[in-house]
Amino acid sequence: MGGVGVGLSLDQAAMFYNPGALAMVRDRGVQVGVNATLARNAFVAEGGSQQRQLRNSTVTPFNLYASFGPAEGKFRAGIAVYTPFGSKLQYADGWEGRTSLTDITLESIYVQPTFSYAITDQLSIGAGLMILAYGSVNLQRDIPLPDSFGHVELDGKAENKLGFNVGVFFKPSDKLSVGISHRSKIDAQVKDGDVTFTNVAPAFAANFQATKFNATLPLVATTSIGIGIMPNENLTIGLDVNYAEWSKYRTLVFEFDQNVAGSNRSESKRFYEDALTFRVGGQYKLTSGLTVRAGGSYDASPVKDGYVTPETPDNDRISGTLGASYAFGKFGVDLSAQYVSIQKRTQTTQDLLNNGTTDRIAGTYKTNIVIPGIGLNYNF
Amino acid sequence: MTTSLFRKCAPVVALMGLGLTACQPDIEDDFTPSAGSVDFTRYIAVGNSLTAGFQDNGLYLEGQQKSYPALLAEQFRAVGGGEFVQPLFPAGQENGSGYVRLVGITNGSPVTANVPGNAGRVAPTSAPYTKFTAAINNLGVPGIRLSDIETAGFGNVRTTPLNANTFNPYFERITPDGSNQTYLQRVATEATTATFFTNWLGNNDVLGFATAGGAASSLTTPANFTDKNNKVVDALTAGGAKGLVATIPDVTNIPFFTTVGPVLRATLTARNVAGVVITTGGFNTTPGMSATRRSIATTTIRDASGNGNQLFTLTASPYLPLIGVPNNGRAWRDVFNQARPSLPPIVTLGLFLALQGVDTTKQFGITAENPIPSTLVLDDTEQTQVRNATTAFNTAITNKANEKGLAIFDSNTFFSGVAQRGLVTNGVSNTASFVSGNLFSLDGVHPTPRGYAVIANEMIKAINAKYGSRIAQVNPNNYRGVQFPR
Repeated sequence: MGGVGVGLSLDQAAMFYNPGALAMVRDRGVQVGVNATLARNAFVAEGGSQQRQLRNSTVTPFNLYASFGPAEGKFRAGIAVYTPFGSKLQYADGWEGRTSLTDITLESIYVQPTFSYAITDQLSIGAGLMILAYGSVNLQRDIPLPDSFGHVELDGKAENKLGFNVGVFFKPSDKLSVGISHRSKIDAQVKDGDVTFTNVAPAFAANFQATKFNATLPLVATTSIGIGIMPNENLTIGLDVNYAEWSKYRTLVFEFDQNVAGSNRSESKRFYEDALTFRVGGQYKLTSGLTVRAGGSYDASPVKDGYVTPETPDNDRISGTLGASYAFGKFGVDLSAQYVSIQKRTQTTQDLLNNGTTDRIAGTYKTNIVIPGIGLNYNF
Repeated sequence: MTTSLFRKCAPVVALMGLGLTACQPDIEDDFTPSAGSVDFTRYIAVGNSLTAGFQDNGLYLEGQQKSYPALLAEQFRAVGGGEFVQPLFPAGQENGSGYVRLVGITNGSPVTANVPGNAGRVAPTSAPYTKFTAAINNLGVPGIRLSDIETAGFGNVRTTPLNANTFNPYFERITPDGSNQTYLQRVATEATTATFFTNWLGNNDVLGFATAGGAASSLTTPANFTDKNNKVVDALTAGGAKGLVATIPDVTNIPFFTTVGPVLRATLTARNVAGVVITTGGFNTTPGMSATRRSIATTTIRDASGNGNQLFTLTASPYLPLIGVPNNGRAWRDVFNQARPSLPPIVTLGLFLALQGVDTTKQFGITAENPIPSTLVLDDTEQTQVRNATTAFNTAITNKANEKGLAIFDSNTFFSGVAQRGLVTNGVSNTASFVSGNLFSLDGVHPTPRGYAVIANEMIKAINAKYGSRIAQVNPNNYRGVQFPR
């Protein structure tokens, strides 16, 4: 449905979209889902003619939502497990940007116990304790040596951290609902991650003795408002706007326990900007069992010209979704597919020089992502 | 379009009869190389050591293979470029003229060792290099000055006496036996079948003077330079070939002149030495006219930030620890041995020192009696001469190029920028520093393979801009800087 849901109270996933809407979800139940994210990228370096493609990989974000509460009560409680931030990119061997990045894997799992209370039949509020239960980072790049390339792998786990997800949901009539929610920022802190150097020739080894690193990656806050329109019993339309506070992502700093090439820290400018996402989606109940969905979204990129890095070869994104679910009594199966087109983006050497960001690479990126998904739910 | 979509797209899942696919984006078509208005069928390269691929104080196989003309020819292949033959040293002779290699870094200073040549010629008096008589595209001749291009017998080993003003062993190597052909004649012959050329001659018309600290060699006169530059460009364009010419960089920015001064200045400052005494200009061969002395204040020696205007050569490095030491004539002995072949046999070391008014019992470098030889210093007066010559030469080069509508690689502007700001290549930092900067080889004058790759890219940019072509650049990071010991 284009990722809408802040202004809707469709199912247990409200715990993610808008905890305030959970009390309005009458069904108690469990749903689990898993997606396969297939990213395909093309890159041509400035002045070059050779297209570089990723060594293709698949990541599998998943989610689990379970809610319970009295059938006629005013509250619902639940637990949500989801993976809002994650990526995996493996660039072609020997590609032009090898000293910026060769491989990246970021994983985060949030666990969120949630409580939602219906103050009136039309107004409900909710809050969840967002726990960064698991976070890991693995960054690899090649090291430029005068006569060869070394390689470094930074691998670490994030400390457990707490945040919150709160929301308010208001449904003045059967045909209209609105919601607002806020997920707070969590700083994923890696302490004493492992630094592993390989292929560093003996002549240079003295410069590359570090074994541990610290780093902090902001998992940014998102504020969302949404509207739900239900013209009839079978049709639901949602409109959401998300506001992600990417401007908190200023620099990416790695601190090392020993000097690496003459310094015990490396700093790379990010200078992201806050960004809006607009989403629209709808679902239609064809029969008592079959529901079909479709949607789309437009993501404004938080990355300015001159700041594009291989780890997020980002630009504005246009995305379309299709989905269907079929209910067999208390059981249901969801199938979904999302297609994301990240617009082509060219960054010039001059952009990098102007911004002092020559640690990354000039060239043209284009990325498409396909995300098929499957879900199961059981309501009681 | 749809067929290619189907070809590139791998079906992932079928959902409600819809074939969902992960589509590999394809942007390569936006960057397809094209020749523009140039026919690249037969490319020839005219020039000196830079064109031959000279590096680490020698011409050897690896440098030849990474020469900028070889890299250009490789990129031209995608747009109709043909075979590019260089006079490569064959297996078993890959050390060529011999070169220096890095042995290690001791107390922050690079230590080098000689790798002896094995291509026939190892000293000015030994056998000539093994001939290479096949047709070639790379006519780069190390050591050649633009002023030499009309010297008859320049490649004839029977020329006597063999000295750099009348004979060049690298030109001899590619010249038919017994031929008195001049370099210009050879270029004219090759140009008749060429469709594209690069021409980068003239560096040695200032470099020899500069690296000798203004004590030897001489600057070519602007009139002579202009005349010969016009002749070579006329010959190259006679058959309608298009091409690129390059200007001459200001040699005072190369590591050969920028490495030793900052160290010396810091050392003298630490030892509270207010200044040194040098000789300037040439050496004297007339009794009673000793070499001119100059006092150089420590504060005027150019440091790493570019403050100061006196430059010391890379070759001065071994003598710096001797400054202030009495009874030491090593620097002057070495000068005498260098100058000996061109001196009359009657001039002994003692006589030579007497002629220069040198008394080596006095403290070296800080007394007028035992000054630092001119060969180790390019003082501000000499630098002015070098800059004026460079400016005049570059005016001649650009005027002629514009007259013929040729592409120009302004290497002077480019390398000045590198000296000031460094150069980042695909995320990797490079500078004009000695050894650590990646761009200059161990002789402090000639580029490394990465330096040559950068030059090739700049030339490609100039060619693309002039002729509407779209030739792909190379990735300089795939080419090494200085080779460290393994």
